[in-house]
Amino acid sequence: MAHVVLKDLVKTYRGFKAVNEVSLTVNDGEFVALVGPSGCGKTTTLNLVAGLIPITSGDIVIGDRVVNDLDPKDRDIAMVFQNYALYPQKSVYMNLAFPLQMRKLPKDEIDRKVREAARVLDMTQLLERKPRELSGGQQQRVALGRALVRDPAVFLMDEPLSNLDAKLRVQMRSEIKRFHQDLKATIIYVTHDQLEAVTMADRMAVMNGGYLQQYDSPAQVFAHPANMFVASFVGSPAMSLIPLEASTANGGAVLTSAEGWSLDLSQRNARKVQRATSKKVVLGARHSTIKLHKSAVPGAIPAKAYTVEPTGDVTFVQAFLSGAIVNISVSPNIAVTPDERIWLEFDQERMHLFDGETETALEAN
Amino acid sequence: MSTIAETAPRGQTHRRMRIDGWRWGGRIFLAFMLLYTALPMIWMLITSIKSGFAAMQFPPQWWPDQPTLASYQKLLDPQNSVGQDFLRFFWNSLFVSTATTVLSVIVAVPAAYAFSRFTFPGRNFLFFAVLLRNMFPAVIFLVPLFILMRAIGLVNTHGSLILTYLTFGLPLAIWLLKGFYDNIPVQLEQAARIDGATRFQAFMLIVMPLSAPGIIATAIYSFIGAWNEYIYAYTFLSKNEQLTLPVGIQRFFSENTTDFPGLMAASFMMSVPVVVLFLVLQRYFVRALTEGAVKH
Repeated sequence: MAHVVLKDLVKTYRGFKAVNEVSLTVNDGEFVALVGPSGCGKTTTLNLVAGLIPITSGDIVIGDRVVNDLDPKDRDIAMVFQNYALYPQKSVYMNLAFPLQMRKLPKDEIDRKVREAARVLDMTQLLERKPRELSGGQQQRVALGRALVRDPAVFLMDEPLSNLDAKLRVQMRSEIKRFHQDLKATIIYVTHDQLEAVTMADRMAVMNGGYLQQYDSPAQVFAHPANMFVASFVGSPAMSLIPLEASTANGGAVLTSAEGWSLDLSQRNARKVQRATSKKVVLGARHSTIKLHKSAVPGAIPAKAYTVEPTGDVTFVQAFLSGAIVNISVSPNIAVTPDERIWLEFDQERMHLFDGETETALEAN
Repeated sequence: MSTIAETAPRGQTHRRMRIDGWRWGGRIFLAFMLLYTALPMIWMLITSIKSGFAAMQFPPQWWPDQPTLASYQKLLDPQNSVGQDFLRFFWNSLFVSTATTVLSVIVAVPAAYAFSRFTFPGRNFLFFAVLLRNMFPAVIFLVPLFILMRAIGLVNTHGSLILTYLTFGLPLAIWLLKGFYDNIPVQLEQAARIDGATRFQAFMLIVMPLSAPGIIATAIYSFIGAWNEYIYAYTFLSKNEQLTLPVGIQRFFSENTTDFPGLMAASFMMSVPVVVLFLVLQRYFVRALTEGAVKH
């Protein structure tokens, strides 16, 4: 196993910057998820690490070697593809043996390693089958097996679960996590599903538009999103982001909506607002931090329920505030009907404030 | 079955009948097509085992009174002058067609792969330029190519034919093969390269076996094209010992009498290599060879 360092990595396609000065370090044995919407540059980044496409500038270090100009085969990596990319003309056995044959290992050692990998992944009885005779989940396992049979320095995984059905995906998610724990493998895992990133990764790198937005543990990213993009991308339902106007007077601060209502901020939040570059401030709140009242309460903001979505455990209520959609979760025994008047109380301790111009999070100090 | 028919709603039985009608119509149409294509072949075979006299009788003998393999014996007999000619023509055709096929695969495979996988300046222009030739009937190029061949001293050589057939066959061969390569997911090569193969090894070990049906289809296409070609062979070659079969067979027509059994026997034997080629290679045409490679 080895660590991976990306330093100022840039990939340009005919003037279009697909990956923009991305720098991050993946520690030895760490599981890092590259996550972002499609087209954010995460798969390009992974292909750069794999050496499948040449880098425009920057450095990639795997272990202690700069691998910028090395062929994929010389980088000591293994990759699991979204569509598995199993060799269709080869049996499962030969698929698993191929990376070892390419490294010219002796026959008996290849046989031993292939059978060991098959045993670990519980597919010994499938060795003679062709990929087309396997189910989606089994194909996925073979793809995983082909990666781990070689004991590479780094595992690269490109959305390995997105072709599986929902139930299998959850199952394979825990299997891959277990696989990481058992092997202490260094894994770079690309996904567009923030839930996969949050549940599996030690650290997640959120990307958008070719830029690295935030790189931290899922808990940190969830609790302290660096900017409005990360705030809205991580977490489901998404964090509500309400554009407001700030005014400060004798140490305190008030956020005012064009709709006429206003919200007094705590001392700590007032300090944050004072750092904003303009009057525009965006209030961010996760569904669980907003309290819903059915009657007027001091400090609560009047609104109207728009939709009500019961999910069993919890009921999600949507409302509009200052033109933004606000998600609130309530206990299912609170009955809310659409178009009912409601009052929303924001938790000062757990609310997020963003600079309306730069879209970055405002901090108190 | 009768209970099912009785309980089935009325509309369904009606629909079933309509489907059956179409099915039978289809079968009759196919039977007609089969007769249409097979009858001339059968007549060719029957005529080839008749004597010269029986072949000219009217009303025709549906099955010869005295079937004979004399025509085949004559054609395959190296002592006989007719046999000598026929065998030489056959060999010439085989040589020209095989050379064309081998060269066209050697050129088309890397060309199609490059068109499919790489982006390079002028890629689209080149690709359509390759197809431009097919916009014109082949005869248009007859005289210009003849002049060209004379200028480079290739008239009366098999090389002139091989070159010509290549220029005619390659565009479609490249087009066909590119389609095959487009359908082979690029991730297979990427996986192979990560698994320790060089780019060339990935191509040879992974892509080539998968594109075998395409290569075989292309090869058969070039072979048949070259095997059957008449007008260029007739124009470029004038020496008797160089003629190819389509031109050579013409010699069975003469001003006074035509040896129909001999002509038919020669035609039949000319069709044998193509049929054998198809029969031997058809199992490689297995569809969905790439099935299971990737999940869509």
